[in-house]
Amino acid sequence: MELYKQVLRQTVTYRLFTSILANVNDFSETLGNITICGIKTIKAIFKGEMSSKELIEQCERFGISSLPITLSIVGMTTVIIVSQIAQEMVKQGGGNMVGALVSILMVRELGVIMSGFAIISMIGSSLASEIATMRVTEQIDALRTLKVNPFGYLFAPRVLAGMIMMPPVVIISSFIGVLMGALTSNLVSGLSYRAFFDSLWLGIFAKDLFICIAKAFCFGGAIALISCSFGYHAKGGAKGVGIATTGAVVWSFVAIVIIDMIFAIGFFF
Amino acid sequence: MGIEVKNLTKTFGEKKVLDNISFKVEDGEILALVGFSGSGKSTVLKLISNLVEKDEGEIITSEGDIAFVFQYSALFDSLTVYDNIAFALHERKDLKKNFTEKEISKIVKEKLELVGLKGIENLYPSELSGGMQKRVSFARAIVTEPEVILYDEPTAGLDPIASTLIEDYILRLRNETKATSIVVTHQMSTIKRTADKVIMLYDGKIVFRGTPDELENSDNEYTKQFINASLEGPMKILA
Repeated sequence: MELYKQVLRQTVTYRLFTSILANVNDFSETLGNITICGIKTIKAIFKGEMSSKELIEQCERFGISSLPITLSIVGMTTVIIVSQIAQEMVKQGGGNMVGALVSILMVRELGVIMSGFAIISMIGSSLASEIATMRVTEQIDALRTLKVNPFGYLFAPRVLAGMIMMPPVVIISSFIGVLMGALTSNLVSGLSYRAFFDSLWLGIFAKDLFICIAKAFCFGGAIALISCSFGYHAKGGAKGVGIATTGAVVWSFVAIVIIDMIFAIGFFF
Repeated sequence: MGIEVKNLTKTFGEKKVLDNISFKVEDGEILALVGFSGSGKSTVLKLISNLVEKDEGEIITSEGDIAFVFQYSALFDSLTVYDNIAFALHERKDLKKNFTEKEISKIVKEKLELVGLKGIENLYPSELSGGMQKRVSFARAIVTEPEVILYDEPTAGLDPIASTLIEDYILRLRNETKATSIVVTHQMSTIKRTADKVIMLYDGKIVFRGTPDELENSDNEYTKQFINASLEGPMKILA
């Protein structure tokens, strides 16, 4: 029987099966950790255990420090896309719809998704590594021995800051994206600014703006919660900090795409 | 009241780190908890301070705060010394309404003076030496006037003179605050200079109880091996 077990363990099928099981186990554990952290954060907010000074600091971090990178990424992405579609559309006689197309792209998807990616790279990774470092150097244990709730002190200001500041960041970056779209269309296809801006409002409605803000709100909260959760559960020194940071970035990317898909199914199917 | 531990058991995975241990520390006493690395000493402190949940047993402590001085200080590195020490007074709901900023400033200065560090309020932990960080962590721990102070290897990594200074401050804090203390250590100088009683742990069990003098002069095979730092004896060290 022992020999049979040894042989079985060497087969590819067995190894694949145990690997899948291990991944499913890790996935469930991570999802569970994030959910529990979310619940404890909400409880801490309602119990008034959040520092308003910390909230202001985190809002400044999410909203102001991240703005240059976010605007750069959204602006450059717009240039890449519009430089390819504007020429074709003008050639096909659709030049008077370029503004509408850019505004739909920007407001519905590009502005919010690219801002989300920028925030994950800059803020999400730094949140995860900051809290992971606190974990591995026992600073989170120190918080608990001083009877300060880590979910109130660390999580709540960061999650709320993400939810509060992400919508204005997205609005500003969408605006910049539209301006860059106008500039790019003019440079590559000679489309006049007037023609561009005349068609701008044909593509978007109040519902699109509402969905954009709602998505930004959800993205901000998700990025902050996931990043803080990975940091909080880090173990094992410098390597653990690295694993937590990578995990936070990957999961945040996947989360915002899933949230985006839910909004797309809910509002545009 | 002090601290009373009854039938405490803790397992991590398959390893039983603490196996049904019981002991008592009287009010105002200092107990040294000694043993080789991995014998469960720090786990006892974490169980008493509720950082880790116990599997079985009971822990009874005085009402009031339990302060913890960590081995590597665990100062909040993004905050100044002032903000580190004042942290509980600024952030705890039950305390922050009781003090004005002026009163907090006075308390912080008093605690810094108690640990022999005046004038460093505006420095950050990274700008302090190891010994200074340790003393700031003492000051932070006692700012809420705790009934119990737990020290996790307070002299680890310090030179002999800095260790003596830390040992003096452990005694001074006990005399000033009348707190009950447990000091986890494996340094004989710390045991001899600070402890009223000693407990030795090995393999999750208590293998010696007594005074520091009894520890040094005992015929107990475990204590003899520990005192002589010998590889020969009942305690097996994994190489």
